[in-house]
Amino acid sequence: MRNHRQNETDRLRRDARIAGLRDFQTPSLEAVEQRRRELWQRTATALALIAVVVVAFAIVPSDRLAEAGTGRILFVIVGVGGGLFLWAFHKETALERLTRSLTDERVLTAALTNRLHEVSLLLDAGKQMNAHLQMDELLDTILRSACELLDATGGSVMLVEETDLVTVCALGRDAAVGQRMRLGEGVAGYVAIRRDPVLIDGHVDPELFPGLVLREPYVESAMSVPLVRRAELQGVLNVNAPIGRSFTEYDLRALAVFAEQAALAVANARLYEAERAHVAALLDLRKRREVS
Amino acid sequence: MVAHHKPRVLIAEDDPDTLVILRINLNAAGIEPMLAGDGHTALERIEAESPDAVLLDVMLPGIDGWQVLERLHESGDPVPVIVCSGKDNVHDLQRARDLGAVAYLVKPFDIDRLIDVTSEIVGLRRADAGVERGTIADAELA
Repeated sequence: MRNHRQNETDRLRRDARIAGLRDFQTPSLEAVEQRRRELWQRTATALALIAVVVVAFAIVPSDRLAEAGTGRILFVIVGVGGGLFLWAFHKETALERLTRSLTDERVLTAALTNRLHEVSLLLDAGKQMNAHLQMDELLDTILRSACELLDATGGSVMLVEETDLVTVCALGRDAAVGQRMRLGEGVAGYVAIRRDPVLIDGHVDPELFPGLVLREPYVESAMSVPLVRRAELQGVLNVNAPIGRSFTEYDLRALAVFAEQAALAVANARLYEAERAHVAALLDLRKRREVS
Repeated sequence: MVAHHKPRVLIAEDDPDTLVILRINLNAAGIEPMLAGDGHTALERIEAESPDAVLLDVMLPGIDGWQVLERLHESGDPVPVIVCSGKDNVHDLQRARDLGAVAYLVKPFDIDRLIDVTSEIVGLRRADAGVERGTIADAELA
């Protein structure tokens, strides 16, 4: 990998040298464009001058030209013009290679920056989620963070209760809280059973999602991802796109990565709840013993 | 303006590691790689630089791979597209086929297989990798 990087750098420097960008340790796309403009302006000026000279020779009376050995001079001038064009073409080739290499470098830098940004957002969301152990607060944080991450207008978190999925938190449609559906029913039920993220874009095929209930207002683009921790299904996270915007496979992957952290946080909150209930039961038992 | 001796392949992929690995391997196989980290850049470079083939990841930021494929299909651009996806379901394969992709590779892909398929499509190798122009590499699906 390091050798490849060194080769790329050497190639860039070589092309920069050929193209006349000697002062640049790492030439920029802007510098290359400027050099290209300069190159073709100078070449065009030189070729125009040569053309003027050739025309001038053509205008001057032939007997006087013969004295000056014009044929040879014209031959040299045209040769210089041709050489100049070839020289400019050679430089242009190097400039074009440089442009492509620099564009590739920019793409790589942008991809790295995007990835860093994505990781940073996910880390922030993870930190926020792990700051809560109370289930209500946690679910609210999960949903808000997911919507923020994906520019979603609303959504819901559904948790598994025996053979049902129960909507325990909703954003944009509060009436959904408390609604139940059986595992396997609708889009969320499908996601829960298959444990596969689903991207909805446009109309939903009711044959693919048995038990699907279409609701108003109709959501054009949405995503559902399973919340799975150590092979145990915790629930399903759903987010809806704003009107006029469609989620993409890229968004789906981001939500799936987010859901991995969310599932861990939900599992921890459930453990905490169970532990608190256990401690409360023990304290209750102790009180009863003391009373009796 | 400039003559290209090596076939050029645009890699449209958002993952920087995959971009670098594919670039190194395509270079080693005698193919000149061009890079695009998102759908917009991919479409721009396809239009401006007319690559000989495109390795198109489905998950791209901005315009995703499917939208890129749709736009190329709608514009009638004849550039051969190899779709790279993490999903190995028939629905996606059919979608890629309908949108004119010439091959469908499932991630994580074997790099040698990818180079074979790409080389064959850009004409560096005879048709021995199981892919013909205008058809889908069905064999990639389990």
